[in-house]
Amino acid sequence: MSLPVLPAASLRHLLRHPAQLALALLGLALGVATIVAVDTATASAQRAFELSLQAVNGAADYQIVGGPAGIDERLYVQLRRDVAPATAPVRFAPLVSGYVQLGGRILQLIGTDPFAGAELEADAAGPRAPGGVPAAADPAAARDWLAPGAVALGASLAAALHLTTGASLELTIGGVGHPATVARILPGAAFDALILTDIAQAQEWLGVRGRLSRIDLRLPPGAAGARALEALRRTLPAGLELQATRASARETFAMTGAFTTNLKAMSLLALLVGTLLIYGAISFAVVQRRAIFGVLRALGATGGQVLMLVLAEAAVLGVAGAACGALLGLLLARALVGLVAQTINDLYFVVAVSSVSVPALTLVKALGAGVATALVAALLPALEVARAAPQLALVRSSLEQRALGIARRLAVASAALALGAGLLVLVSGRSLFAGFVALFLLLIAVAAATPAALRALALGGARVAARSSAVARLACGEIAGSLSRTGVAVAALGMALSAMIGVAIMVGSFRESLRDWLTQTMRADIYVSAPGSADSPERRLAPELIRDLLATPGVQAHSEGRRAVVRSPRGALDLNALSIPPASRAAFRFSAGDPARAWQAFAAGAVLISEPLAWRLALAPRATLTLTTSAGPRAFEVAGVYREYGNDRGEVLMDLATYRRSFGDDGVGALGLYLAPGTAVAPTVAALRRTASGRQALLIRSNAELRALSMRIFERTFVITRVLYWLAAGVAAVGLVSALLAWELERGAQLALLRALGLTPARAALLVLAQTAFMGLAALLAALPAGLLTALVLTEVINRRAFGWQIDLHLSAAQFTNALWLALAASLAAGLYPAWRGARLVPAAALREA
Amino acid sequence: MRAVPCALVLACAAAAAAPPAPLLPGTAAGFAAAGAPRRFEFPRDDGPHPGFRHEWWYVTGNLDAADGSRFGFELTFFRFALAPAAAAAPPPPRSAWRSREVWMAHFAVTDVAERRFRAVQKLSRAALDLAGGDGEPARVWIDDWSLAAAPGGAGRWTAHASQAGYAIELTLTAAGAPVLNGVEGLSRKAADPGAASYYYSVPRLRVRGSLTRGGETLAVRGLAWLDREWGSGGLGRDQEGWDWFALQLDDGSALMFYALRDRGGGRDPFSAGTWVAPDGAVQPLGSADVAIDVEDHWRSAAGDRYPARWRLRVPRLALDLTLLPVLPDQELQTTPRYWEGAVDASGQRSGRPLAGRGYVELVGYAR
Repeated sequence: MSLPVLPAASLRHLLRHPAQLALALLGLALGVATIVAVDTATASAQRAFELSLQAVNGAADYQIVGGPAGIDERLYVQLRRDVAPATAPVRFAPLVSGYVQLGGRILQLIGTDPFAGAELEADAAGPRAPGGVPAAADPAAARDWLAPGAVALGASLAAALHLTTGASLELTIGGVGHPATVARILPGAAFDALILTDIAQAQEWLGVRGRLSRIDLRLPPGAAGARALEALRRTLPAGLELQATRASARETFAMTGAFTTNLKAMSLLALLVGTLLIYGAISFAVVQRRAIFGVLRALGATGGQVLMLVLAEAAVLGVAGAACGALLGLLLARALVGLVAQTINDLYFVVAVSSVSVPALTLVKALGAGVATALVAALLPALEVARAAPQLALVRSSLEQRALGIARRLAVASAALALGAGLLVLVSGRSLFAGFVALFLLLIAVAAATPAALRALALGGARVAARSSAVARLACGEIAGSLSRTGVAVAALGMALSAMIGVAIMVGSFRESLRDWLTQTMRADIYVSAPGSADSPERRLAPELIRDLLATPGVQAHSEGRRAVVRSPRGALDLNALSIPPASRAAFRFSAGDPARAWQAFAAGAVLISEPLAWRLALAPRATLTLTTSAGPRAFEVAGVYREYGNDRGEVLMDLATYRRSFGDDGVGALGLYLAPGTAVAPTVAALRRTASGRQALLIRSNAELRALSMRIFERTFVITRVLYWLAAGVAAVGLVSALLAWELERGAQLALLRALGLTPARAALLVLAQTAFMGLAALLAALPAGLLTALVLTEVINRRAFGWQIDLHLSAAQFTNALWLALAASLAAGLYPAWRGARLVPAAALREA
Repeated sequence: MRAVPCALVLACAAAAAAPPAPLLPGTAAGFAAAGAPRRFEFPRDDGPHPGFRHEWWYVTGNLDAADGSRFGFELTFFRFALAPAAAAAPPPPRSAWRSREVWMAHFAVTDVAERRFRAVQKLSRAALDLAGGDGEPARVWIDDWSLAAAPGGAGRWTAHASQAGYAIELTLTAAGAPVLNGVEGLSRKAADPGAASYYYSVPRLRVRGSLTRGGETLAVRGLAWLDREWGSGGLGRDQEGWDWFALQLDDGSALMFYALRDRGGGRDPFSAGTWVAPDGAVQPLGSADVAIDVEDHWRSAAGDRYPARWRLRVPRLALDLTLLPVLPDQELQTTPRYWEGAVDASGQRSGRPLAGRGYVELVGYAR
């Protein structure tokens, strides 16, 4: 048989069923779109972050960093004089950074020395600052740049704030307003989250005179560079470290690792659901054409040719779906990128993503994923039709027979998959990746068990229904008998519902754990803190203001706190230094270590660590944690591990006195105020605000306000998760609609027979709707236990491995309602059109067509 | 001559819209002006004059190593005030980085044997000991580069600078008193009364010291020239550059002449120079006293065309010299670019053969 006939037959079939084609494409496209969107959004955030790093001293390949108190600026002068003059000179540039508030945004303030910066960038092979700081050799620019209050900001930021060169603005730094002037507007996306100023101005604004945040340096190439690096390492004072710029940037962005991994896993879920849909669509298309394939085979087409035909169809579908998906994904990415950036800002560091950068690799991956998905999904039905004996291919019942066999085998496979998932969790130790694999195995197991479960349910339903109505019995029987069609759609829906329930339970449990923790931990009546990023030097309460605040009537006791980022051989760590009144020690719930002994050791200089840190660094009580103090590395005893849900990277808790001794930073970033019994909170807050007014814009919040704020931030960080699981659910719903629509249309003849036998139009419609509702409920039923199991994996395996949190499982009806609505909505939507057709059909005509 | 720090003034001219800014940006208000002749006092005047807007210490010289290798070097320090001392400053407490002065330095080496020219620029603010200038004894520096006068005003200086591949450590001893250029040291550059500066030279400084090439340190000796100039104004409106010549001749005489060029390329009448006879007698030269013919050109990699061979005649002195660069490419790749290089002089005076060495500066040729 000549080959050209085969594609023609395919094309004719697909074109005759445009709705079916469109739905299959939509399912695949949505799956691919989710992957592209997540990939693009995270890549854009990373790109924005890297650009902002390169914006200043981008040619630096190493940097000298200090502790929370920074670096003495005299070291810089000394380095320039003593290390630079080697015949292969090292170039140095100083930098001071902190955070400012401007127009409701938090921006990084970077103070540079343009002369040293230009020298560092000069004839560098690496990336250059686009626009950068003004050329030092241009005296007019130099004069404007060194003028008090001069700042430079990015073009898109300037446009958003309606600022032009020469415009005046007010920056709020550590709660204090400072007048500034726009000296320069810088092109390029690198400056979206930055405000640049002269180093002198930055030191004055941030209140860090005499200190530098870091010293960037560029080494001469080759062996001379290595020698210079070695010499530098030897001469660097204790407490300072030399680190590769790229490595430190990687380390910073790696903070978001667990978060982006979770996002990617969620996007894979959408594609997984999409795979089932493609399978459903292709196998349906094959089944519909069983007569044609039978004829083709009878006419001499080989099994291989038919196999290739079906696979080619799938490939075309895959390419088309992936292409649509990529386009849709790019649109989706624009919406998602804001959410990703928001989460990174809430949890990790300041980044502004003004442009969506699409990695070429993402598009290739999307195309590959789309085509591979379609091929894998089509393989089973294609093999089936290719293997069938020519005459048998004409008989539809043989297919259902086979489907039944497959369903049974799948049920067995499902048990094996679930077992495999369980085993994997047990043996994979700390691997987050393995955790996700186990999660996916579990979801696939759910999908695999669904057809058999559906059949059992439907047969059971038929038996029960037989007592009341023959039609109802028929409805159920049909579902059981058409497993090749119904099974897949219900499996896809079941899988999406399981994921939905699992995530809902996980988020709900997390929320309750957080709420409990906040209630227990937050003991003070009023919290006062300087605004700004946790780790920036300007976040400091003015000492005289602290005195006045504490003198407010009603304030009985107080605690002081300082947050900082400190360095350690295991990377940068968040440190929380607190002076904790003994009465408040009960606020900390230990998950390891004896509290009495731990507190004793804490007062004597030991540290406590939060659960996520204990997990991440695999530390237990009695271990030591080395931190780079201002006097060089020092080992601290870990006295205990406490529960903490505020920081997914974990934190080190240190007595404030120990911190001051070790890091030479005596700033106070926050106060907890305890009121005398009977003192009203609101008037005291008002009085405190009056005291601070005009001096420092402090955040003064009551216990209840701060708790509410914490919960709001928590909700915000889960917005993306919700968006993604609704996308997966959307894919499943489309799949159900598509599969059921096709199935119902196909059995028009049966319905016609029933109508001819006296079924009224209304009852015919009801019959169809009842069938789809039954399937929706069956999917939900399967999803209930599976969802619980998913939630367990999410909390006990995924969250634990990603962040080290222990989350107590909290169940509530609300966690299931979304899934219920989705199941009902999807099944009813799937049933409406067929029901309408069933009611409208003219029995005689339909029977003739059949 | 260097009417103003050459790199800086050209940067300004380039940055400004037409008509080209004759002066540094803004007005000189608040700065002291070089309006009338003054009494020079040494060694005090070796040090900085912070009331003026700009000032420089300019050393150029020709060196010979014991092995016969020949070198040229240029080490210059520019002080540049961004605002007068009285200008508004932010309220205290102030950062130590606050500064109203920017310093710039150029260090160039011409390695004749290797046919190599290397130049590096440093820029820094006068803060935190990164850069600055001290008075008696005078000392100017950026990082580890420095030019320092010995205490007591003996006319001795030390110069130290390094760059990738080359370093110098030199002692310079003046042979003779400083020479005041112009009218008692007041050097007018244009009709505009603001376009003037105080300008003196030390034409012959005996050099001893070492020059490091790669890992190898060579003992060197030779002759250097020191130019000191300060003021608050700039070039005239129509002047676009200059050719500056500083020659030390074998008979003990020295010649300095700057030819200011106007936009059309012609000689500006304010061009001037100084002749120092072998006995130390000083004679000012006007523009009409000196005839210069360019006999050859050199084109840089960037496509700029520089004069590369001159015939310089001073009929009043019966002096006729041909000047030839020791290397064609002695262009500093700074912003903007300029050419400053060692030259050989040969010719005659009053019919007797006369040779010498010197430095030539060509500014305003780079596009």
